[in-house]
Amino acid sequence: MSDYVQMWKDLGMDLENHDLLCQVLPTAVGDVFLSQENRPKAMDFWDLVISEVHGIRPAELIEAQKQGRKVFGTFCVYVPDEVIIAADGIFTGLCGGSQFWVPDGEKVLPKSTCPLVKASAGARLGRTCPFFRIADMYVGETTCDGKKKAYEILGEDVPMYIMDVPQMKREKDILKWKEEIADFAKMVEEFTGNTITPEKLGEAIHIINEKRKALARVYECRKSECLPISGRDALLMTQISFFDDPVRCAQMCNRLADELEQRIRDGVSVVPAGTKRILITGTPMAVPNWKLHNIVETSGGAVVCEEMCTGTRYFENLVDETKTTLDEQFMALSQRYMKTNCACFTPNTGRIDDILRLVKEYKVDGVIDCNLKFCCLYDTEKYSVTRALNEAGVPVLSLETDYADTDAEQLRTRIGAFIELLNG
Amino acid sequence: MAEGHVRYYILFANYEQGLRLHDLLDGENIPNRIAPAPRSIQGELSCGMSLLLEPEAVDAARACIEKNQAEYHAIVPLAGQIRARRDKYC
Repeated sequence: MSDYVQMWKDLGMDLENHDLLCQVLPTAVGDVFLSQENRPKAMDFWDLVISEVHGIRPAELIEAQKQGRKVFGTFCVYVPDEVIIAADGIFTGLCGGSQFWVPDGEKVLPKSTCPLVKASAGARLGRTCPFFRIADMYVGETTCDGKKKAYEILGEDVPMYIMDVPQMKREKDILKWKEEIADFAKMVEEFTGNTITPEKLGEAIHIINEKRKALARVYECRKSECLPISGRDALLMTQISFFDDPVRCAQMCNRLADELEQRIRDGVSVVPAGTKRILITGTPMAVPNWKLHNIVETSGGAVVCEEMCTGTRYFENLVDETKTTLDEQFMALSQRYMKTNCACFTPNTGRIDDILRLVKEYKVDGVIDCNLKFCCLYDTEKYSVTRALNEAGVPVLSLETDYADTDAEQLRTRIGAFIELLNG
Repeated sequence: MAEGHVRYYILFANYEQGLRLHDLLDGENIPNRIAPAPRSIQGELSCGMSLLLEPEAVDAARACIEKNQAEYHAIVPLAGQIRARRDKYC
């Protein structure tokens, strides 16, 4: 019998509180995913992962730790997973996407902090998430002020390393990020006791590129007018990809893509013809944040693309695999990661270009630009995003929300009206 | 779909048992889906995975279990578990 209770006890978790989370997760999964008809068969894998989300993968990580491997918890798509893998380490995403963790975060952070940051702090300090307990080291970064201050607090409880992400994208900033990656590699080598060689880093770059290509294949299918997968299912796949083994992740995404491509050939769609196609842009949606997608897709729309960190920003652009020295490889990594258009950069016109491009590629009828409350950066960018979309004649709805259920009815009203508008 | 709609959950001691039965049911084209086990029926089991059946598939699933001597813990009916517009997230 898989004795997860003993595993959770050994991790020092608060079992009583954790059990409350175990009570709400099955309901949400049932409502959001199992209510759908005609889902791809390959979603079985992600259904299993989410059913056993605090069991199977944590047990794998603990087993790896027993073999001497180190687990690095990360919070941002700017942290280069390749470096961790090259030192035989394991990465796992740690961003918190549940309201359940917010109150514990608010014990140490101001209420006026974004829910993702509060949930991430709360998951660690409230001892209700095994991933936050397992990670040997957290790798933070400087992409927002809330995170920076939260990392200082978390750093009192767990080993913490911070990468200094540039705020501009000049040539000297790309060089600076390369140096940050080189410093990170030194730290990872010391922490794991393993040397990073050009051969190992080359292999790691290839592994992560293959994962990116597999995710991109699934997204490519979402461009089809015959939509073979819901936005909810695609989002779940992306969310899980942050903490699954990257080789297995690529295998499973490719298996899903095989099925989706066949569905397109067979004319199998998950929505009736004419369903309005929505692109969602803005702040990331960490697991188990499914609120917006569920509301859109139960209000007559279909989410066909996410321009966000839990979306296209995670897999677009590959790292050059032809480089043969560490110095060249660090530069190739920097060049790839610095193409990611996060709102922490100024200017960030590349994000607008991405949104306009994705609108065309995914045959989008309307855009929902949504940020988590208290995310000043994405909230402020709404001005330029809306203006650009208006100029391009693309309908846009700007929203702000958090992880609580309390605004669901309001969101339903606004999103329902937006889709009605699109329907003409 | 009616909110009080009854569905059946097959519970397991571990996910390996669940995946074995999932494959057996798939092999016989008996519709079933992997689902998190609702906490209210999970008891002391720490396995989070269950198999979800519509009522019309239960007899065939029982026959498949019997024929293959498949391991499982219990089959439990439960109403009102799935509502797409409930808006209770976690």
